[in-house]
Amino acid sequence: MEFDYPRVLFKNRKPDRVATLEEYRESGGYEALQKFVGGRVSPKEVIRLVSESGLLGRGGAGFPAGMKWSSVPDSSPFPRYLVANADEMEPGTFKDRVLMHVDPHCIIEGMVLAAYSFSASKGFFFVRPSYESSAHILERELEIARKAGFLGHRILGTDFSFDIVVHRSGGRYICGEASALLNAIMGKRPNPVKPPPYPTEKGLWEKPTVVNNVETLANIPHILRNGPEWFKGLSATGHGAGTKLYAISGRVSRPGAVELPIGTRFSEIIDEHCGGMAPGARFKACLPGGASTRFMTGEHYDIPMDFEDLKKIGNRLGTAAIMVFDHNTCLLGATLNLMEFFARESCGWCTPCREGLPYMLELLRRIENGEGREEYIPNLRILCKQVWNSYCALAPGAAEPVISLLDFFEDEVRQHISEKGCPFHAKAGH
Amino acid sequence: MPRLVIDEREIEVPEGTKVIDAAEMLGIVIPRFCYHEALGSIGACRMCAVKFLQGPFKGVQMSCMIDARDGMVVSTTDEEAVQFRKRVIELLMKNHPLDCPVCDEGGQCLLQDETVSSGHGVRLFPGPKRTYRDQYLGPYIKHEMNRCIHCYRCSRFYQEFCGYRDLGPLQIGDRMYFGRFSDGALESPFSGNLVDICPTGVYTDKTARFKLRRWDLERAPSLCNQCSLGCATVANGHYRGVMRVEARFDSEVNGYFICDAGRFGFSYSNGGEGRRERPLGPKMAGAPASGPIALAGAREALENIAAKYGPEAIGAVGSDRNSLESQCMLALVCKTRGWLGPVFFSDPVVRRKTLAAVEALDGELAVSMREIAEADFVLVAGADPLNEAPMAALALRQAARKHAPVVVIDPRSIRLPFDFEHFPASPEEIEKYLGTLLRMAVEKDVAGLGKEGEEFFRATGFENFEPPAEMARLSELLGSSKRPVILCGTDVSVETTPAFAAECARLLRISGKQAGLFYLLPGAGSFGAALLSETAEKTFGSLIEDIENGVVRALVVAESDPFHFYPDRDRLERALSKLELLVAIDYFPSETVRRASIFYPASTIFETGSTYINQEGRVQFAQPVHRGGAPIRGGQHPPRVYSGLVPGGDHLPAWKVLWQIAGMAEEIAGGHGDISPQNFIPAALPAFDGLGAERGYPVDGPRLFAAKPGFRGKGGSAGGIGGERGEDPESFDLLMVEWMFGTSEFSAWSDSLDAALCAPYMSMNSRDAARAGLRDGDRVSVELDGGTFEIEVCVSDRTAGGVLVVPRHQALDWQKMKDFPVRVSAEKIRKI
Amino acid sequence: MLPDELKLKLREVIAGAESPREKAIDVMFEIQELQGWMSDEAMVEAAELLGMTPLELEELATFYDYIYRSPVGKYVIKVCDSTVCWLEGHQRVVDYLSGRLGIPLGGTSADGLFTLLPVCCIGYCDRAPAMVINKRVFGNLTPEKIDRVLGQLAEKADFSGSE
Repeated sequence: MEFDYPRVLFKNRKPDRVATLEEYRESGGYEALQKFVGGRVSPKEVIRLVSESGLLGRGGAGFPAGMKWSSVPDSSPFPRYLVANADEMEPGTFKDRVLMHVDPHCIIEGMVLAAYSFSASKGFFFVRPSYESSAHILERELEIARKAGFLGHRILGTDFSFDIVVHRSGGRYICGEASALLNAIMGKRPNPVKPPPYPTEKGLWEKPTVVNNVETLANIPHILRNGPEWFKGLSATGHGAGTKLYAISGRVSRPGAVELPIGTRFSEIIDEHCGGMAPGARFKACLPGGASTRFMTGEHYDIPMDFEDLKKIGNRLGTAAIMVFDHNTCLLGATLNLMEFFARESCGWCTPCREGLPYMLELLRRIENGEGREEYIPNLRILCKQVWNSYCALAPGAAEPVISLLDFFEDEVRQHISEKGCPFHAKAGH
Repeated sequence: MPRLVIDEREIEVPEGTKVIDAAEMLGIVIPRFCYHEALGSIGACRMCAVKFLQGPFKGVQMSCMIDARDGMVVSTTDEEAVQFRKRVIELLMKNHPLDCPVCDEGGQCLLQDETVSSGHGVRLFPGPKRTYRDQYLGPYIKHEMNRCIHCYRCSRFYQEFCGYRDLGPLQIGDRMYFGRFSDGALESPFSGNLVDICPTGVYTDKTARFKLRRWDLERAPSLCNQCSLGCATVANGHYRGVMRVEARFDSEVNGYFICDAGRFGFSYSNGGEGRRERPLGPKMAGAPASGPIALAGAREALENIAAKYGPEAIGAVGSDRNSLESQCMLALVCKTRGWLGPVFFSDPVVRRKTLAAVEALDGELAVSMREIAEADFVLVAGADPLNEAPMAALALRQAARKHAPVVVIDPRSIRLPFDFEHFPASPEEIEKYLGTLLRMAVEKDVAGLGKEGEEFFRATGFENFEPPAEMARLSELLGSSKRPVILCGTDVSVETTPAFAAECARLLRISGKQAGLFYLLPGAGSFGAALLSETAEKTFGSLIEDIENGVVRALVVAESDPFHFYPDRDRLERALSKLELLVAIDYFPSETVRRASIFYPASTIFETGSTYINQEGRVQFAQPVHRGGAPIRGGQHPPRVYSGLVPGGDHLPAWKVLWQIAGMAEEIAGGHGDISPQNFIPAALPAFDGLGAERGYPVDGPRLFAAKPGFRGKGGSAGGIGGERGEDPESFDLLMVEWMFGTSEFSAWSDSLDAALCAPYMSMNSRDAARAGLRDGDRVSVELDGGTFEIEVCVSDRTAGGVLVVPRHQALDWQKMKDFPVRVSAEKIRKI
Repeated sequence: MLPDELKLKLREVIAGAESPREKAIDVMFEIQELQGWMSDEAMVEAAELLGMTPLELEELATFYDYIYRSPVGKYVIKVCDSTVCWLEGHQRVVDYLSGRLGIPLGGTSADGLFTLLPVCCIGYCDRAPAMVINKRVFGNLTPEKIDRVLGQLAEKADFSGSE
């Protein structure tokens, strides 16, 4: 490998095999647990170190991880719960799946340490149905961790007890939204709920609950073992911290999940780590952070891929799931496909999402099928603005590809209308 | 108290007020669908968007989701907000079938109103409309899902507010559906409110379906007189019939909702088929007579009786369904003419319990249903709220939702739509449980209770009583409560319990709590009857004896049917046949009416202004909604008779009939002129001086209390009773009880309630049943003094030992007993 | 009627929860494992085990993608139709499966073995186009690979129909 970046989360990555507890321990695994939980270091110290490391949540929103834990009030009641969010249902996103298949103990140790920081006693691993293999691996490894004394009753012989169960989802995108996810675990309809109260005050069964993404949790043992300064130093930029799992899919030569310093330039990710574009394909645009981010054109091909730099260009790093489209891709078709996803997955709670997304879908479909009309374009713009004021972030996210399609590729859309059909259809056979 | 500016007008509102409510206080009604004051905000429909110009929030936001704060400047008319709301309407109307011309909601449809007011008119959406398959939801509610705008009001009302679990949100996205698991009648006895609460026509009133258009209706604020709560309603009349009853908002009494018995139990006023046909024409000796002739005939016949035997040979009978007007007139007639009575109660024990309740209620203790909903601990003693006063059960649920413990001490296997603690105590044991729980709760504060408190406290000691284990925890919760309420019934409890409950409430007050007291009384007119109790000492039972002894020769029965309530039908029949004259004044086609020598039709609550005092002493007035008369329906032409009157329009308010047949024109209202309740109610009840008003009383419902606040120090019966029954353990106390459907006269004469009936059953304790060799579902015959009745057995752990609980059900031939109380020995119950 | 053995197992599953409803999905998955789908009768029995009303369970069953309230084949083939699979030719996969099994999208084969459904992104974008059969995922689909997978499944079904 020509790029000698330190690998942290993928340190134990094996071809076609899950790292064992022994392999994880050989690489320094469970040392942080021994030191902090075994040594009864103050939970506040755990929070302080993680806060100082600058770790931002890896689930998409980029909320500071330490701050989330510290927002559980000291005086709040017990039991307290920790949830590892492995729902990962946004199109293009699969990094957590790879992580769970690479080094599950890294996540388990992270969960125990996180739980320790705010005295949680029970953890839930929320896993989507198509990740049954991950659920299976986790259940197996959880039992191994339990036997080794790293999990369960009186961890490492201390008076701290914490156990984890795998909760299987019935499968819906909205379950990835933290408040909806909590409803799902409690066996209620997984509609999102607006704070207040925040889950950290009243979450599962009205008790304090923290929901973290699995990649976020996997970083914890490494931060605690190596210190916040080391973690900050992993970043490719001055303002970022840590490494990042980028999941690249679409028209590149080698799609997959790679671990790179956060802020690695987009060009490097594609050209060096994915083997460049697929044979015969030229870069047209990408969605840089999952299905609910804006199309990014070649203009920003060199952008550092981190939270701040993408924000500067009005986009989002999201889950760092990069979907790459080439010059033969009809982006209207891609947007239509995304809208089919969002409209289908809307939970139906609020009007703009429940009714607005199918409305947009109908207009996009008509344009793609050659039944488009000029007035659909301003109507789509209005709808995008309308759904921005939805109950949760699903519909605003769904509008991002549409609005950026109109911002960057309006000509392509108009071409569909004037030519009464998809100009790519003949070429690409979509 | 935050101050904010809405549409350039400043207002100060209580902390925690939502902006949508703050605006309403200024008279600005922000459009909304999902938001409902009783249900709270969920931010789903996005219709209440307004623009926040200054303050902690900025831009277009939902006014139902944001608390008013200092310094907010809000515009409801800002162009951006107006356009946003218009687009929400466009989205909601995208799939709406626009079947308004055939929709029963038309004319009172929030969706219709807000669509028009938003300015939306042209559907730009080019796609097809979504359609659904509807479900059968039972006899009262029609389902029409295509009209749905998915506001979640129905499921939230049904599940969260009422606690029933068979209607809810299904599917997701734009396939969202509100319905049941499968076709079938809705289980909630509050389901009718779906009609009111749905902002469009998904749920419509099946009983009124396709019979009316909203704008053709005569509407008036009315009251429900089917139980003692006096819930506010709106009655809708059309073509001389009552078409529909809706809930009317009353913040103190029923809030926004009413129960299904109250909503659908109006059809007696229109009459039904066959034996249920409403008697609209006066009759003499079974033959039709004109109004003036019947009135003059009755007056003459009564004068003859008085001349022959003296006026005390005429007995005057009222009931607990009388309006206060009828009751006052009965009292005045008896006082002036010297008739015997009036008799309002059947059973002397029920009379004394009602009196005790009314006497105990004072301005400090009496709480409304709103205050029950805000209570932090509720003790229910000898009451079955869901069956005796359904809306009280809903009020209790609101308290329970806010984590107030509800403890029920009652012999019946009480069902309520929330979790509660139940002590299945026999009627004699109720005070023991109540007193002990209270004693344990305030024990440690005994020093601070003062002399009277200590005295009472000593009297609540029950010997030989080992309190159930849960009581320790519950008494602790009661001890730490701040606003406890005692809800006490007057049906199955023993005579002393209402007074005892009041003393308990006072004791809680002495110990520093905002304790409240809430009684359930036998009927809508019970409170009024109790206020007039000085002149009404007699009960129907003693009147029967007077007839048998020849003391009473004539009866005037106003809005009452002894055949409905008297326990010994044979004896009643014999007694009535001894009478020389039976004058009946009623709107029900009752057996008494059928047997009357002279009958005069009475107006119903929908046809005449009626005053009722509910069980918390609240004076309320029901306005007449229409003049009444023979309803026009079923394609039949009204009778072709030449008359100045509306066909079937002879009926008069019962009090007016009494006034005329007693020849009272000379005594009241100075002779020939007409008479108004304003004149004669104060004559009977001085408290009404200056209070009464032809068009109704002050809307907040002035409250009348017989009692002055303060501790009575009587201590109820406490130590005295409550011991073992000490009788044959192989025999049972027969408790005759009320059901929500099937036991009231309204139910008997309203065919609209038939669909809600279920067959009567007799509940008994499982151990008792085992001893008697009976199993759940067995059919038994129960032998009484005057014959037997057959009934199904329902066995429950939660029914107290030693009792048989039987509803006074219209399908059950139960009036075969000598008198209450009735004991049934085990061998009298035979399996068949 | 659910077999007693299954009921016993489900009771155990439920007993381990913070509150019974938490296990609603697990219970339905277990039943589907055995019967393929959630029939009305199964819903009623499952709801009872969970201390829910049938309606309350239906609220969940109709919410989720992997709970079936209509009969499905022994193998439910869900072809991912989200963005990357779309880009990589999911339609060709659907067409091929449709042809092979003789059923349209949404259909169940006459032998009751296969049901063909679309599914939203299954998180295997790096191996697009992909499909999930029951809960097992197959990626980088080609006609040859599909043939191989279907062949294996059909064989398995022949050998152990009672599985």
